[in-house]
Amino acid sequence: MSEKESLKVGIDLGTSRSSVTASNGQRHVIESYVGWPADMVARKVLKKEVLVGREALENRSMLDLFRPLEEGLIKEGSSRDEAAVRELLRHLLSLVGAGVEKGNGRRVHAVVGVPAATLRVNKQSLRKALADLVDSLIIVSEPFAVAYGLEALLHTMVIDLGAGTADFCVMRGRLPTEEDQRTLTTAGDWLDEQLEVLVREAHPEANFTLHMVRQWKEGHSFVGEPRAPVKVTVPVDGRPTEIDITAPLRTACEALLPPLVETMLDLHSRVDPEYQERVRGNVILAGGTSLIRGLDKRLEAELAQVGGGRVSRVSDPVFAGSDGGLSIALEAPDGDWDRLKG
Amino acid sequence: MALWHRRRRLKRRLLVELVEDNLEQIRGGPPRPRPASVGLGLPRLALALLPLALVAGSHGGTNAAATSPPLAHAAGAVPRAADPLTPPSLPLATVDAGVFPLAVERVVLDPGHGGRNGGTQTPSGMVEKDLTLDIALRLRDLLEEEGFAVVLTREEDVALSLEERVAVANREQADLFLSIHVNWIDNQAVRGVETYYLGTSDDPFVGLLAAAENRDSGYAMADLKGLLVELYSGLRQDASERAAAAVQRSLLRSLRTVNPAVQDRGVKTAPFIVLMKTEMPAVLAEVACLSNQQEAELLGRPLYRQYIAEALASGIVSYADGRRAAAAAGRSS
Repeated sequence: MSEKESLKVGIDLGTSRSSVTASNGQRHVIESYVGWPADMVARKVLKKEVLVGREALENRSMLDLFRPLEEGLIKEGSSRDEAAVRELLRHLLSLVGAGVEKGNGRRVHAVVGVPAATLRVNKQSLRKALADLVDSLIIVSEPFAVAYGLEALLHTMVIDLGAGTADFCVMRGRLPTEEDQRTLTTAGDWLDEQLEVLVREAHPEANFTLHMVRQWKEGHSFVGEPRAPVKVTVPVDGRPTEIDITAPLRTACEALLPPLVETMLDLHSRVDPEYQERVRGNVILAGGTSLIRGLDKRLEAELAQVGGGRVSRVSDPVFAGSDGGLSIALEAPDGDWDRLKG
Repeated sequence: MALWHRRRRLKRRLLVELVEDNLEQIRGGPPRPRPASVGLGLPRLALALLPLALVAGSHGGTNAAATSPPLAHAAGAVPRAADPLTPPSLPLATVDAGVFPLAVERVVLDPGHGGRNGGTQTPSGMVEKDLTLDIALRLRDLLEEEGFAVVLTREEDVALSLEERVAVANREQADLFLSIHVNWIDNQAVRGVETYYLGTSDDPFVGLLAAAENRDSGYAMADLKGLLVELYSGLRQDASERAAAAVQRSLLRSLRTVNPAVQDRGVKTAPFIVLMKTEMPAVLAEVACLSNQQEAELLGRPLYRQYIAEALASGIVSYADGRRAAAAAGRSS
């Protein structure tokens, strides 16, 4: 079978959402949830052995639901979490037409992005999970994949703001080292938790779930001055009631800023002084949490204290990682894929 | 266009590093080492390879590297004196390159040895002919990206006589000929790079080296002296010296970032057949010492061979730019 018949895929395995981009032009994003029917009745109703993504979320009351990635990594200690990661990956691959075990169809070469601080043991877990699903695998740090896809490989800083982690990476024209990268766990999920606490404090009578909080954040998050009051509807004593969450939402979103700014400036200070200005002028935001309105301008304002710079958001934050992964997959020589066979 | 090429080259190198990193994961090797403090400017690879490089300092002059003596007729694999060679003085030409405003467009690469003539070899089976071919193939890709037309004297493991190699270069009407070799030095603590262009040498080692390199050519040393007479001066030698200097400078600058102990063994002259019979500027580069254990280990890594290829490419580009600038200056004067 020739390499021309192989399918190349880039995967951004995220805590909250995972995306896949394939060389056949297909591109999908799913919620990183996997669920198994909780009992015989649920199995009969759902008529499926396992549900993935939005389908799993929508039927969560009938499922043992797993979100198998924690802070961007495969949860350890639970075989069910490992199985869930495998189901998640299998589902992603099936969405782009590679949903068969390897050997039954065309070759599948995958590049999977993981948080910058992922330990080797976690990478090995990922290799194990993908062993029977792809023919060859390259694991790459997520911000590097983003940078590669954008061809922002020299004197740039990529900040990949996901749900589980915020990954920082300074690109110096080489594979990033530990010194070039930082991973914070104050990211989208952390923001959700802050927002939940703040809304409960502001509206103790309201009845809502963390899942609803996540939806509010995704629909309305901002830093700086609000454009308009943010109002959501929640049950209060069983009756749908509109509550104003503008202040809690702003507070929660802006709570992300100090660690982000501190890390951005710290990494910047470690860049060779000759190149600091160029790095400041090329700060790139990616990832779902980067969609917080006003975040780019706020970070740019913070750069003023070290001489000013420019912060831009990638045009497609959700797919920037998987698109970058596909770029790597497409440009890696065929001979290298042979060497990387699992 | 140049920017596009640079970007492609950078991406290619990053891919090589990424694949190597993943292969280490698969092999279950230790995590990549932490780098030194940021700002030293050492590339990541330099730090990954540094432990190997630094070990050299702990080996004395009688370092018993795990390598075997070279095969008898390996180019550059002749036992040599411990002291570095002193570049011989030659009456160098002073012809202005601007007189010949010709661009460097076609390059012939000559991967040393091949087929039954393996060149020098380690006990573990690393053979010079394979290393030179691998580096040449990588270099071809890099040069083609830069817009050069590139021809290899061999693209696979076949034996070629020196005459055949020369014939390829002359038939292709190359603007530059580069022969790639890996060195073997008796003092196994020595590592380094050296680049040759055509000329004579009073150094006995160079005589031995050239004799080994020129074996099977059908010429005797005495015959060759006559051939050299007309070549001691003139543009070709001048251009060859410039090319050799550019290649040597680039090799050192690049490889020292990943192999800090690499020694500058200099730009030298020697009467190698492949330098003598070619009709264009020609150089022969000894890109590493297989006799040195640490350098042999480095050579075993594709990434290091990629670095060598990139250094050679950079040297050739630099030489070509110099020719272009000289030609432009000649036209404007």
